[in-house]
Amino acid sequence: MPVQLERQTKVLTGNGAAAYAAMLCRPDVVAAYPITPQSEVIEQLAKFHADGVLDCQYVTVEGENSAQNVVCAATMAGGRAFTATSSYGLVYMYDAMFNTAGYRAPVVMINVNREPPGIHAVCSGQQDMISVRDTGWVQLIVEDCQEIMDTTIMAFRLAEDYDVQLPVIVNYDGYYLSFLAESVCIPGSGEVDQYLEVLKGQPPRPRLMPGDPMGCGSHGIGMGYVELRKKHMAAMERVKTKIDEIDEEFRGAFGRGYGGQIEEYRTEDADIVLVTSGSAVGTARTMIDAKRDEGIKVGLVKLRLFRPFPTERLCQALKGKKAIGVLDRSICFGWNCGPLYMETRALTPEIGVVPMLSFIDGLANMDITQEHIGRMIDDIQGASEGRPYQEVTWLP
Amino acid sequence: MAEQRKRQPKVCDYYQNEDQFSPGVAFCSGCTLELNLRFISRVLGKDIIFVGTPSCSAPVLHGQNVAAWHRHAYYACTMTGVASSASGLTRYYQQAGIDATVVCHTGDGCAQDVGFQTLSGAAERNEKMIYITYDNEGYMNTGIQQSSATPYGASTSTTPVGRAARGGKPTSSKNMPLVMAMHDIPYVATATLSHLEDYARKLVKAKEWAKEGFAYLHVFCPCVVGWKIPTDSSIQVCRDAVKTNYFPLWEMEEGTCRITHPVKEPRPVSELTATVGKFKHMNDEGLAVLQGQVDQRFKVLQALCGASGSQ
Repeated sequence: MPVQLERQTKVLTGNGAAAYAAMLCRPDVVAAYPITPQSEVIEQLAKFHADGVLDCQYVTVEGENSAQNVVCAATMAGGRAFTATSSYGLVYMYDAMFNTAGYRAPVVMINVNREPPGIHAVCSGQQDMISVRDTGWVQLIVEDCQEIMDTTIMAFRLAEDYDVQLPVIVNYDGYYLSFLAESVCIPGSGEVDQYLEVLKGQPPRPRLMPGDPMGCGSHGIGMGYVELRKKHMAAMERVKTKIDEIDEEFRGAFGRGYGGQIEEYRTEDADIVLVTSGSAVGTARTMIDAKRDEGIKVGLVKLRLFRPFPTERLCQALKGKKAIGVLDRSICFGWNCGPLYMETRALTPEIGVVPMLSFIDGLANMDITQEHIGRMIDDIQGASEGRPYQEVTWLP
Repeated sequence: MAEQRKRQPKVCDYYQNEDQFSPGVAFCSGCTLELNLRFISRVLGKDIIFVGTPSCSAPVLHGQNVAAWHRHAYYACTMTGVASSASGLTRYYQQAGIDATVVCHTGDGCAQDVGFQTLSGAAERNEKMIYITYDNEGYMNTGIQQSSATPYGASTSTTPVGRAARGGKPTSSKNMPLVMAMHDIPYVATATLSHLEDYARKLVKAKEWAKEGFAYLHVFCPCVVGWKIPTDSSIQVCRDAVKTNYFPLWEMEEGTCRITHPVKEPRPVSELTATVGKFKHMNDEGLAVLQGQVDQRFKVLQALCGASGSQ
């Protein structure tokens, strides 16, 4: 009989919320390697396992590359699997991440955003998630501890959906969220079981079983390769509407929702819009209100889905605006701007040619302050009024 | 265990089992790897799950698009992920209560070089699986480059013999079976294809031990093309490797080490190297170094057998 837990409210860190969520989803296999600032996630899961709250195989691997291979294979055998990492660990599992995505293995992974190797920064930053953009994984990024809890549960629902069958990363900013303690509502295990129950009614996934001659990872050459790639791409596209639906379902079941692919804040009557993601969203929301009080008609788009890129919903939100700013916590080599900015700019044919401004802030634990965001909003407003503007601004 | 050994079938019995591989697979003429794969399959049975990686065995094990050349369940992964993928499979089967034997099958390059960390990690965790290294002493599939299994003096495409460099590979090979024996896993053995009864016994033991922990087999598998030997001589080369103590046959079971095929009067290693093209350039001086390494390793093995309470 699986362990039953009542709904409760507790003060949890972001890492604690991720661990509780993973435990509630009852993975068969957990494999992970410690790294700052993720370690608390896997320590908490180890404790759940040791206390008998989590009935799973807990694999203490010797590196992240192995962690990724363990969870991928466990999923291909038919299990539910979970891992968590950050930064150096994420890039160390790079080759295996292609495997997991290529096998359409519905692994769920937490990535606690941290600057990647090069300039040794044990600091927050979203460059790590950007570096695995094209591995074929679904990527979500969230704002606070409650959203970490809820989105991790939704990630299992999404990954294992018959129409999706893709691995999912849930990203959250290291330090700002990993160690931030907030009051978090922890759903009861029965509620989560019921929420995920729908997955059991789906047609079964193919699984690697003894005595069953199935090849997993066969050579795909020529058209065989093209076919699988095209199907993977189609599944990726289906994620967009699926995450909106799943978010609604979640709201129905738990009373909390996040808007699916994106969340819009005061955009409807806005002239200008700021687009951003992660822990900076809360600060941005405060500043939107403050600038509204000053008479600037500014709105905010919080990007939740990074891969696939929510093009349609973003176009809807941004069309007709007079100027757009995008705040990145990472950089895009080769385009001399922020990565989210570059991707948003690619929507120009749909949303029209308006001033677009790239803001790079919050690298390596530099705080994205209210004052910074105020300056950004002023710059966007100026550009909308025809004043000269700088396309890319590094803050502070 | 003793009683089980008495009832052990002979190799000819295993050949009554159905071959799970199709005829006419794409190996080179005289390839020992093909024999190795078919033999493992016949001894361990059709229900084993192979885990493998890009290598000579890949086209056959992986299959291409929808065409496969065998009837085993098979999992392909990166060279860095064999033992870890197998860990994922075996852990899930344990969690779900499914009885399964997971068998990793990789070349020496994967096992000892790029996949070594994950192999060592899985062994340390004592994962319930069999790991079989087919050792052809280099990266044969990618064009005969040196690996950490390439012996002293051997000529490969990355340790070529040229006008300036006459010596081939300047360092000796990694003593991989001994490295694995030092992991305190329940079963480690060496085997080769000239001694199939010995090999079959070790496979059966490995399958039993894999129910409790990690079993490692290191199989000497000459490569006809890479070693520059005639296509009809690969088994003879295996035999010579055993006769010269270049590749002694031994096993370590629960810490007790034993030579399973003692050679009364070992032949000089030059009798092996003389028949193998990759050693042809070696002079007496080089051969003396190689002989010294072979002797030294054998002494260590004997000491290990003595110290662990066996002969």
